[in-house]
Amino acid sequence: MSHLLKLLTGPEDIGRSRWFWAVFVAVCTLLFVYPYWLSEFEATNNAYYLLNVPIALGLALLWGYCGILSFGQVAYFGIAGYVYGIVAGNMTGNAFGPLVGSLCGLAVCAIAAAMFGYFVFYGRVQNWIVPILTLVLSLLLETFLGQTAGYQWRIGTVQLGGYNGMTGIPSFQIGRFVITGYSFYYYVLIIVVVAYLAMRILVNSQYGKVMLAIREDPIRTELLGYDIRARRLVVFVLAAISAGVSGLLYVQWGNYITPSQVGLLQASLPVIWVAVGGRESLLAVLLSTCALNWLNYTLSSEGYQYALIIIGVLLVVVMLFFPDGIIVTLARDVPSRGWRALVGLHKGKSG
Amino acid sequence: MESFATIVSILYQFATNGAFLLLSALGLIVILGMMNIINLAHGELMMMGAYTASIAWHRGVPFWLCAILAFVVVALFGALLERTVVRRFYGRELGALVVTWGISLILSQGALMVFGPFLPAIPIPGGSIALGQYSFSVYWLIVIALACALIAGLWSLYNYTTFGLQARAAMQNPAMATALGVDTGRVYTLTFSLGAGLAGFSGALFAPTVSIAPFMGQQFVAPAFITVVVGGATNVITGAVGSSLLLSLVKTPVGFVFGAFVGTVALLLAALVIIRLMPDGVSAVLQRLVDRRNRFA
Repeated sequence: MSHLLKLLTGPEDIGRSRWFWAVFVAVCTLLFVYPYWLSEFEATNNAYYLLNVPIALGLALLWGYCGILSFGQVAYFGIAGYVYGIVAGNMTGNAFGPLVGSLCGLAVCAIAAAMFGYFVFYGRVQNWIVPILTLVLSLLLETFLGQTAGYQWRIGTVQLGGYNGMTGIPSFQIGRFVITGYSFYYYVLIIVVVAYLAMRILVNSQYGKVMLAIREDPIRTELLGYDIRARRLVVFVLAAISAGVSGLLYVQWGNYITPSQVGLLQASLPVIWVAVGGRESLLAVLLSTCALNWLNYTLSSEGYQYALIIIGVLLVVVMLFFPDGIIVTLARDVPSRGWRALVGLHKGKSG
Repeated sequence: MESFATIVSILYQFATNGAFLLLSALGLIVILGMMNIINLAHGELMMMGAYTASIAWHRGVPFWLCAILAFVVVALFGALLERTVVRRFYGRELGALVVTWGISLILSQGALMVFGPFLPAIPIPGGSIALGQYSFSVYWLIVIALACALIAGLWSLYNYTTFGLQARAAMQNPAMATALGVDTGRVYTLTFSLGAGLAGFSGALFAPTVSIAPFMGQQFVAPAFITVVVGGATNVITGAVGSSLLLSLVKTPVGFVFGAFVGTVALLLAALVIIRLMPDGVSAVLQRLVDRRNRFA
């Protein structure tokens, strides 16, 4: 236990002072208490802002900590969502159908990512090939799912539904307890907090150090005796599973999924969440993902046509002026002693 | 006679697919090979080319002039893009990927807002010739010839002109090239502009065969990038030619039997297998063969 705590407060994220953890615990407590003042509808909306955090954290792990960029995380999001819909939809009435569906969704994600990653990482391709092939994969998946209208695309009792997507996907339930409304908010919140803490432990562990080493200098890491192919593959699969978790939460939240969830617009979103926050900090990614999802939700009710332009401009501006991410830059460069004590970052490169 | 016509038809299919892949990827591969920058706005530059062609054609400009106009317009835009944005990302290839993606989103959505959901189509110029029971589109035959001519043109540009010499020098060793008086910044601007122009030109050539819409660039993303991944960056021209021929060899039969979508999926699977066997692409393998032969010659 003390070993885990030590890893949790290790150097590889912003925020490691005592003050930070006090604020962290206070915010978590607040998040647990505050649905008391919300309607069930608002609580469900708040769950939506949170449910994309796992896919973003997975991409931060992959891109920021391991130096592998993927544009196709939404493919695993979609795979998990669709598999859950098919399995749980065919087991309606069974109290453990959704649980089995979730496990199947994540398993298929992991297998798909492992197969794809085997060719890419064991082929030792150059850096720029992974993002392109992952993007191609998700575009092809969108095209495939888009043409699955009609009765020949029925699996058991579930219609894939072409461009209209799959509807009537069951909510999550354990035994007789169906998780919707307030309970869904808590379910998402717990998953997000656990995912964040687990990843923070991971990046500060021995395994995480090797990940960072691969990012900094793959050849040197390999000469030190680490099998970088296998390490990269494992991180890739972990990121895919994280994306799958978000996909599961999404279909359990809205009870539907459409092929556009794996399309180009959606594919760009995780990249922007991670780039805006700062890819080398899990905390920054967590915050920016929640904030941008809230923004997107608010904007989409008004000018949806501007959404792509806003995202594009944000991407260009962030990459030009904040290459390390807005939140990370703020955390590093605000010249106040109190602030520095809070984030626990020293000027210059950390640990 | 019948079997002769069948053979010609198969060759025609093969060459059509090859020319399609080559033209989709050419601008991208020029920029990648010379500057190590992946331009994810490539599809949108093709869209710009098609838009230029469509607008000009419906104002009465002859089609071939439209294609050249598309080259010029998109090349100028490419030069502007390089000067303002891309320039800051040399040596940061993942950053360049992300920023060009942002540009592609702005361009496609911007086109939607300015020009609406589609532009009027251009009819396919030229008729068709019949041979036995098959008929061949004259337009595609010309496109195939143009693809060959473009490759020959690029080959001479890089091998026989001062610009080509300077570009190759800047690619192999930028510091040394600068020391010898090559303005590498100018070379990069021209290269990016050339790549963008080629994308615009291909977009104009494909304009009569597809529907001209803001998101039309997306349909070229998969084939173009797969061609580039398989080709690799070791030698631009051999890579482009080798990989489009190799992939056409996969796509033609599969697409013929199972349809276009499965053909594209087969491309992705073929790309995965090929990079497992030759991680630096076809161009690296070809380059090694050439080097070995030169050593013994």
